Amino acid sequence: MNKASRFKLLLAGVAVVCVALLLAETLVVKVQSTFVRKEPKFYSSPTATLTAGESVTQLSSQAGWFKVRTSQGVEGWIHSSAVQTGKLKVASMDRSMQTAATADEVALAGKGFNRQVEDEYKSRNKGLNFAEVDRMLNIKVSPDELRRFLMDGKLAEFGGAR
Amino acid sequence: MRHPQMRTAVFLGGLVFLAAMFMSCQTIKENIGTLTGGKVTASDVEAVEKTTEAVRSSFAEITEEEEYYIGRAVSAMILTQYQVYKNDAMTAYVNRVGNAVVIHSDRPETYAGYHFLILDTDEVNALAAPGGFVFITKGLLMRCQDEETLGCILAHEVGHVSAKHGLRSIKKSRLIDAFRIIASEASKRYAPEKLAQLTDIFEDTLGDIAESLIERGYDRKYEYEADQLSVTTSARTGYDANGLLDFLDTMVGDSSTASGKGWFKTHPSAEDRIGRVRKEISSVSAMPGKNEGRTSRFQGAMKSLR
Repeated sequence: MNKASRFKLLLAGVAVVCVALLLAETLVVKVQSTFVRKEPKFYSSPTATLTAGESVTQLSSQAGWFKVRTSQGVEGWIHSSAVQTGKLKVASMDRSMQTAATADEVALAGKGFNRQVEDEYKSRNKGLNFAEVDRMLNIKVSPDELRRFLMDGKLAEFGGAR
Repeated sequence: MRHPQMRTAVFLGGLVFLAAMFMSCQTIKENIGTLTGGKVTASDVEAVEKTTEAVRSSFAEITEEEEYYIGRAVSAMILTQYQVYKNDAMTAYVNRVGNAVVIHSDRPETYAGYHFLILDTDEVNALAAPGGFVFITKGLLMRCQDEETLGCILAHEVGHVSAKHGLRSIKKSRLIDAFRIIASEASKRYAPEKLAQLTDIFEDTLGDIAESLIERGYDRKYEYEADQLSVTTSARTGYDANGLLDFLDTMVGDSSTASGKGWFKTHPSAEDRIGRVRKEISSVSAMPGKNEGRTSRFQGAMKSLR
């Protein structure tokens, strides 16, 4: 390989790295908590738990799911409805574009109709049954339980679905 | 800088930049005027300008977290009106069917997830509050013949949540007012006066949703859309969407549900929906069939109800 083609190869390498940096997207969790899962399926075992505001690096995507790496270095799949997309990595953006994206879930986290407003509302309407709402929120179906249920019932990819 | 052309270029560039800055500020000011119908003071405009990037204008911009707080309060209203049917095994079963459907819906994750609860009444009804709080009455469960029907009904309710029908029923003027107050406050803690104003709007917002969800019923087009979402979601889950037809058939000419609250005071007529649902089902290329195993586990779960 002569000097010129080595230089061209180096340039190409630099270009690939630059493009990769531009494409490397940071996803921010917009739900209270969600799992990073082994496979792109809701009943797949969790590899990590993330809470609102945490960010992960997108590695690839597939039919509504993102393969991501957490700040702890754990890799897995996260569903698109749990994250805010469209925020490019700081390194690849200038400041004006960053501020343009602040009318979003992350910037508004904890604002608006929040716990403080609910508390004020409760103090005005003392008879409301919020205790039962809190109990309702505790009813959960684990990924494992869901997988068994789908399997036993021959649902989704375990049988009946198209 | 030794080149005069370069100096000119920099000067022109600077001018273009300043013009762009000025124009964007102007647009912001105009929009604030339009959004608030011009009823704002100069200091209001100033306050809003400071946080202009956070000004929102429609239900679609309600955050997941705000939707959750709205949903909590709407659910508290429902649970004040109705008693919970305390049956852990049946509640767990309904939640499994519900979650099977949820993960095949257009919006599988919400701020605090989907949760399903049985209401202790013979009324035939199902309700969904924003954010994923889904309620089904014992009376409606008793009408279900199999898991397919239960899945289809829950898919209809999940459809209301995923398409944000509750949030769509909030009057736009209320949202504009709320967004203006929220945008004018930089911190997450509201001062007493702003908190009072925001809570007033919160109460009115809940009133809008309760009126269409509990009292008057959703707009017809939302009911049709939820039926359509039910058919596609059920089929993706592996449920036979004819389960929705089975249920609607039991409601034709049933006068017991025509009065009072319930699916049929608040929904278009059963006959009307059957026609549309049939059409929707025929457009699904390979509809899953019913399954004996599912039907028998449904019957097993229902034993505790009768």
